[in-house]
Amino acid sequence: MRANTSENNESIMKWFKEEVAEGENAIIIYPNLQTFRQIYTEYVKDQLAKTGEEDDDDNSTRNEQLKPRIILIATFYETIDSVKHNLNAVGVDVHKYIDNSSLVIVDAFSSYYPDVSGMKKLVASLSQRARKEGRIGVTAIVDMGFFFLFGGDGRATELINYEASLAPKTEGGNVRGFSCYHGGNYDTLKDNQKKELAQKGKKLLEVTESAS
Amino acid sequence: MPPAPTLGLNMSYKESKNNSKDNDYKNNNLSILIPQKEESNNDENNNNNAKPLAKLLVVDDDSDIVQVLKLGLLKNRFLVNAFTNPEEALQSFKSNAESYCLMLSDIRMPTLSGIQLARKVKEVNPGVKVVLMTSFEIRDNEFSKVFPSTHVDGFVQKPIGIKDLTNKILSIIGETKRRVDKDFAS
Repeated sequence: MRANTSENNESIMKWFKEEVAEGENAIIIYPNLQTFRQIYTEYVKDQLAKTGEEDDDDNSTRNEQLKPRIILIATFYETIDSVKHNLNAVGVDVHKYIDNSSLVIVDAFSSYYPDVSGMKKLVASLSQRARKEGRIGVTAIVDMGFFFLFGGDGRATELINYEASLAPKTEGGNVRGFSCYHGGNYDTLKDNQKKELAQKGKKLLEVTESAS
Repeated sequence: MPPAPTLGLNMSYKESKNNSKDNDYKNNNLSILIPQKEESNNDENNNNNAKPLAKLLVVDDDSDIVQVLKLGLLKNRFLVNAFTNPEEALQSFKSNAESYCLMLSDIRMPTLSGIQLARKVKEVNPGVKVVLMTSFEIRDNEFSKVFPSTHVDGFVQKPIGIKDLTNKILSIIGETKRRVDKDFAS
């Protein structure tokens, strides 16, 4: 799906919140950091205010007792403090949600380096905790900038392998995963590499910059 | 007073000038402060007449940081070419690679990271010094992955004061500086 920042903010949020189900991993391509900030701050503000009964229509009975989901933001081009600041600016009580473990903000570099599987381990541990605490699930918003840090074709291979290891859908999974790519990075990939990233029907949202 | 190069101010200046001539608004005093000279974002600037210490390429995708660094380093007698777009910075560097003593670059930038940029400028001019900046914590082992394939001469943790940055740069370009002084003298 392609969406333009000027005319389709609602559709961007609708896709982000509704099109990607529990257990799915999807890809977002954002044109610039400002747009990415708008997307994640709006999403986090909305989701942290939600409890179980507002989620999945077909599963409302089960979700009635569920607590809000855990949201992981793995930032790369912004510092953790910047992300906190951005969320505070839209009215999210960052300290409250971090204190009650609903919000986790990490530097993506630390979760990918030196062990690239570190992020998956972190998400898996949050998934377990969400089940244990009776939460709706986990949303992982992960900036993939790390895979473009060192450059070279070899890194693209590592990126493709990593993305391929994230299944488009896991039955019974409670994680909504969003691999977020800066458009400037994404455009450095060759066409066949782009196709490989979205393999096996992985959902993809490409947000383009408004012309104005 | 010469018209300012900025379109909006230029128009205001002209309107003001025309109004005062044609309509003779004797009782209305309008003061507009017009900059005499607008600094170009990517142009070299020398702050005073003293001999420059060295020519620097400054790259950061945060325009505020670029501006602060540029102004601070200019005041400390460096020639500065500053960019928010690393690819444009690379093109500029390639066009006059031998004139630069040092590149100061942010690490985490989309499209072309500071590490990739460092590799490319060293390919063009192996003699140029490279200092990488980051707002993130720098761990000792963090960049072992790129060594020794990319030689980086120093790291800077942001935020950093201009005085400390200047001292850091001077310590790194020590020998290069003499060569540049000689070049400027000739």
